[in-house]
Amino acid sequence: MRASLNRPLVLYPISIVLGLCLWEAIARTLPKALFAPPSAVLGRLAAMTADGSLPTALFGAVQHMLVGYLLAVLVAIPVGIVVGRNVAVATAVEPILNALYAIPPVALVPFFVIWFGLYFEARVALVFAMCFFEILINVLQGVRNINRGLLDAARSLDVTGLALYRKVVIPAASPFIFTGLRVGIGRAVNAMITAELFFSAVNLGQMLKNSSNAFDTASAFAVILVVSLFGLACQEGMRLTERLVIPWHHGSEA
Amino acid sequence: MSRGRAWALRLAGIAIFVLVWEIVGRIFGDALFAPFSAVVVGFPATVRDYKLFTELAGSFQQLLFGYLLGCAAGIVLGIMMGRSALLDGLLQPWVSMMFVTSIASLVPLFIITFGFGLAFRVAIVFMAAVWYVLLVTYHGTRSVSPELLQTARAFESSRMQTFFKVLLPALYPYILAGMRIGLAHAIRAMVIAEMYVIVGFGGVVYNAGVEISTVSLIGALLTIMVVGVVLTELLKWFGRRTAPWYEERQQLPN
Repeated sequence: MRASLNRPLVLYPISIVLGLCLWEAIARTLPKALFAPPSAVLGRLAAMTADGSLPTALFGAVQHMLVGYLLAVLVAIPVGIVVGRNVAVATAVEPILNALYAIPPVALVPFFVIWFGLYFEARVALVFAMCFFEILINVLQGVRNINRGLLDAARSLDVTGLALYRKVVIPAASPFIFTGLRVGIGRAVNAMITAELFFSAVNLGQMLKNSSNAFDTASAFAVILVVSLFGLACQEGMRLTERLVIPWHHGSEA
Repeated sequence: MSRGRAWALRLAGIAIFVLVWEIVGRIFGDALFAPFSAVVVGFPATVRDYKLFTELAGSFQQLLFGYLLGCAAGIVLGIMMGRSALLDGLLQPWVSMMFVTSIASLVPLFIITFGFGLAFRVAIVFMAAVWYVLLVTYHGTRSVSPELLQTARAFESSRMQTFFKVLLPALYPYILAGMRIGLAHAIRAMVIAEMYVIVGFGGVVYNAGVEISTVSLIGALLTIMVVGVVLTELLKWFGRRTAPWYEERQQLPN
């Protein structure tokens, strides 16, 4: 985020306040059941946090999100590294990856119902499906973009086998791996709420559905806000981790 | 690697994929995972029973509305934010927030605000496309070299001339890249919205999904996959064709 340093940071708080005022002004002219003002949303947010319903729902939601995300990471990184190192295999799987990636993940929901039912396992499967490809594609790109000189130097120094991966391949590809992890966790949070809406409605998805059915748009906004903020926090957390783990790759992200 | 060898590898990859699918499908049976041959044989019936192509065409007409609106808004806002530090600062927090917001989480709320009809689907597709187009255009605008604009000014080109003859051509590859990513997200969002209220193509996926056999479901998924890949390739081809200076831009927002 080099660019943010050049930006007048004063503008951000002003932006948030102005935006909230505008939202409030628009919402006041509309029926509350259609479009709740931010004051009502913040009120609901406080009430839902105080009575414990929102934290409980978020805690429940995080479980399938984390399991699905970790499974995707554990499969995508090794597969990406092995496939990326082999030019022939990478060329052969590329069209299939592109094609599978073009299938809207939510269209897989009927499949997951058949295979995994309506509950935890199905939600984990959707989270996995929604972030697996994002991570895999980035890891593949990272491994394929490794500077040939680096690999030749390693070979001339007799670095082979596992040591080559540990000392050269993985560090060199790590900026891309981290991009995959960051984009992937954003998708995982996205999948977390999608799964709760499209399988049996539970946790945050259930709150969202119930409040919408009751025309309680303030509560619906509150849930959406929590999910978005959680997604933002996860991505920023990953950005921070990246900076701690690979400090040499500072600020060269796209 | 020669072009011929690369194509041979890709074809081999696809052939192996189809073969593995066929074997796995035969082991699990139509109810769990229909084999490739069953999907192909059953495809005419799928098209007939579910009016697959009619529904798909209808869905894409509605998608086009929301998508084009999203592209227009994204391009205009992206250029404005890229050129003005003030607008950038004022809009950035809200854009970042909207960018991470899960489309699925908006669905229940948008049903209240927009109903179940055209407006609802257009609004959902718009929300899915606009932020990607905006961010890519924004990054493009910021990467246009100041020398280019200064040269234009030195040659006494008017503001309009600078915009249409210098800035827009420089942005063109970015805009097309943004539109391509936006399209993928628009298609995903369309399926999310339609599966939730069971209409159009998403309705086909939902209804095919509750059948005993997965033949129709896989047929529908393959169809949307092919449409997605073809449209993406068309946009790529169009870019190369209409602008000789077009090249793939890798620096996309993550």
